[in-house]
Amino acid sequence: MKGLAVIAIAAALLLPPDVLAHAVGAAGAAPPKASPTRPSLPGLPHPKVMLGEPGRFGGTFLDAQVADPRTFNPILAQETSSTGAIGGLFDGLVEDNGETTETEPALAESWRTSPDGRTWTFKLRQGLQWSDGAPVTADDVAFTFQVIYDGKIPNSLQDVLTVAGKPIEVTKVDGLTIRFRTAEPFGPFLRSIGVGILPRHKLDASYQAGKFNQTWGVNTPPRELVGTGAYVMTEYKPAQRITFARNPHYWRVDLQGRRLPYIERLVLTIVPSQEAHKLLFLQGQTDSYGVRPREYAAFKRGEKAGRYTVYDGGPSFGSEFLSFNQNRRGGLAEYKLKWFQNQKFRQGVAYAIDRQAIIDQVYAGQAIAEYGPESPADKFFFDPRVMQYPYDLDKAAATLAEAGFKKGADGLLRDADGHPVEFIISTNADNQDRVAIGNIIRQDLEKLGMHVTLAPEAFNTLVNKLVESYKWEAMVMGLTGGIEPHNGQNVWKSSGSLHMWNPKEAAPATPWEAEVDRYFNLAATTVDQTRRKAYYDKYQEIIAEQVPVVYTAIPNAYVAVRNKFGNIKYTAFGGPFWNFPVVYIKP
Amino acid sequence: MFRYILRRLILLGPLLVGITFVSWAAIQLARGSGDYFQALVLQYPQISPATIEGLRARFGMDQPPWIQYLRWLWRIVHLDFGLSFSYQVPVTWLIGTRALNTLLLSISSLIVAWAIAIPLGIYSAVHQYSVKDGLLSAGAFIAISIPSFFSALLLLYAAFWTHLLPLQGLTSVNYDMLSPLGKLLDVGWHLILPTIALGVFSVGGLMRYMRTNLLDVLRADYVKTARAKGVPERRVILRHAVRNAINPLVTLFGFELGGLLSGAAFVENILGYPGLGRLILEALQRKDIFVVMGSLLLGSVLLILGNLIADILLAYVDPRIRYE
Repeated sequence: MKGLAVIAIAAALLLPPDVLAHAVGAAGAAPPKASPTRPSLPGLPHPKVMLGEPGRFGGTFLDAQVADPRTFNPILAQETSSTGAIGGLFDGLVEDNGETTETEPALAESWRTSPDGRTWTFKLRQGLQWSDGAPVTADDVAFTFQVIYDGKIPNSLQDVLTVAGKPIEVTKVDGLTIRFRTAEPFGPFLRSIGVGILPRHKLDASYQAGKFNQTWGVNTPPRELVGTGAYVMTEYKPAQRITFARNPHYWRVDLQGRRLPYIERLVLTIVPSQEAHKLLFLQGQTDSYGVRPREYAAFKRGEKAGRYTVYDGGPSFGSEFLSFNQNRRGGLAEYKLKWFQNQKFRQGVAYAIDRQAIIDQVYAGQAIAEYGPESPADKFFFDPRVMQYPYDLDKAAATLAEAGFKKGADGLLRDADGHPVEFIISTNADNQDRVAIGNIIRQDLEKLGMHVTLAPEAFNTLVNKLVESYKWEAMVMGLTGGIEPHNGQNVWKSSGSLHMWNPKEAAPATPWEAEVDRYFNLAATTVDQTRRKAYYDKYQEIIAEQVPVVYTAIPNAYVAVRNKFGNIKYTAFGGPFWNFPVVYIKP
Repeated sequence: MFRYILRRLILLGPLLVGITFVSWAAIQLARGSGDYFQALVLQYPQISPATIEGLRARFGMDQPPWIQYLRWLWRIVHLDFGLSFSYQVPVTWLIGTRALNTLLLSISSLIVAWAIAIPLGIYSAVHQYSVKDGLLSAGAFIAISIPSFFSALLLLYAAFWTHLLPLQGLTSVNYDMLSPLGKLLDVGWHLILPTIALGVFSVGGLMRYMRTNLLDVLRADYVKTARAKGVPERRVILRHAVRNAINPLVTLFGFELGGLLSGAAFVENILGYPGLGRLILEALQRKDIFVVMGSLLLGSVLLILGNLIADILLAYVDPRIRYE
């Protein structure tokens, strides 16, 4: 700890006084506590207090998810069907608040950074227990990161937690203290470090035996899964359901100092499709349903009869866009490459897309127009000042004319060399929204005199074109996003394998791609979040100006939950259940 | 007879190698549509190419296709079906958890289908060209022409609006709290809808087979002889005609045995039934090759054995058939 100046992070400081104020307010009703100001439990002096109105204990929550979990191993879990099933079983050192999106203490009670921004020291809460009663210690944290960085265990956390090509050094300081040291200052550190901590006492034997990849697969008896989360899994019936029960050792309390969660039992029915989930919800056999934008009006009408409420989470993180192939390695005709590599061509297309038609027809009005790469759901990094392309066919034609494109007497748009503008837009056939968006875009572009064919294809075929053969012209695709733009570096940096329009460039092909690379690298190695925001603003502005991908619309996120549940605080970021421990059944 | 069975069983090996080789080759020919690992990058934009390569190597998928196939074959000989890419658990476990459910549904719908089709077919043949025969035939043609996914959708729609039957799954949410009898009733209750979708709607074809066969036999000389001898009509039909008319259906029964475990992906998918069909369909979409190959192998073994059983049964019911 030599020479380590202590800087307490604002978020760490913010919570305790906040909690303190609430706890004082509720002091009268609180059961016995060790201290008059902060709730405490026997053996767990500093539980985390979760805000919300005081609830009732007991009851069952019925939910459903599409598809079976792939694994119960949180390091290997990647698909939402796995993370959805085990997400409630494990906790990280820190977590993102579902409402404010701020990073908050979780298993760690506090942390501090060194002035050079490279060393982070975390202090675990005292008295934390695994769901089998064993204590949670710094050894568990060290073990978790040892597993993540193990080359024989392929996992995507490894990629997120690699700084300047090197793993983060993890050292146990004492039983409850753990220190991280990064090769360079790492801006996204706090948002990346909150990975689920694993129980060393349960997993070390199989890890040492080299069998970690097969450990905690879906064939594991659920009782073997030991975590720190609000629930423990009690049963898994493949293709039928997963059942969870309350974890008696959970580390959060309500404002009255009572150990959470309120709800006793959780049943997750596995359904083959979202349609099936919808039918079950309408029949009262599940308590919540993720309403799609086009279903919003119908669900809103049924609120009273179905005794549920549709919650509006505002813009979501998902986005659908049109991209043009600018990659020489795809074997595209030289003149087509010239169009797609021309900024004016792409801007012309961007002006020609009727986003309101997409919003109305695809999302039944429940969406907003999008022009830049980050969603307004990202309250911190979203830059509203990016260049916009409101629907304007005259402006589109004028912009195209600047690049030499002219509409002939036959109504066809031709480039300066006389090639008629013809291309194919690919998209995945199993995504109704994308096919619909592709059709609207096709109609819009034909108004300019382009000859566009829409080709819906199998998802795997499309992926193969995108990342291996590069044989495509234009594509309607979508990606899900998150708060931290750093996680999109595989898309935006010119070396990224998902840099769709020209993947894995040896060196940036254009000056603006070099600029974006530079800002991503700067933001990654800067710890000051305000400066990082400035760098990411630059990247959003460059992307919007260069339009390598033409954004369309961001749908809103909705969920329907039965009225009998209290403390529902739905947000697009946190989902309906980020505060599930305080959700309760009203009397 | 014993030598015949032995010869058939010995032939099973080369036949299976042939089937799996063709299947593997077909999967390889569809390479332009990518593999399982490639698709990961769209789901997790942060995943690095090195991680994807690591995963591919872990499953031996970085080798040339023919080495992959030989390795797979080598493991199969040792009864190791390999690991699923997406689940990372043994393929045998995945199939095992769903096989019993599929068997249950296949057998229940098989029983329902045969129990309805045989009597209806007999009735229809005996009353040939009557109004009832016409109605039954019309019904049969309608049932034949409705694809199973559509019949399942119709049933789902009916169940949704009437609230009479469960929409999804094989058990209720509170299944584990039920008594043994309660569990049995609960499963039976959930089985009704998929059984109707699969069983009742397959009655049409079977019934038509039975009708045609019986009509053929009824024209035979020995039936005329029996009638001339003054054997009661009921006895002529059931004892003399039906027993002979059933032969071709035995062959058909062998085929159905082969299909017992291949599941009914469409019906299972629509009615949320926890069977093999759903697993296989999903594995196909994801290109989870070992799961696909494992279930193909299982289906092939059953089909071949089903045919063998049908041939043996045929020899048993028809003394004219000899295999030596």
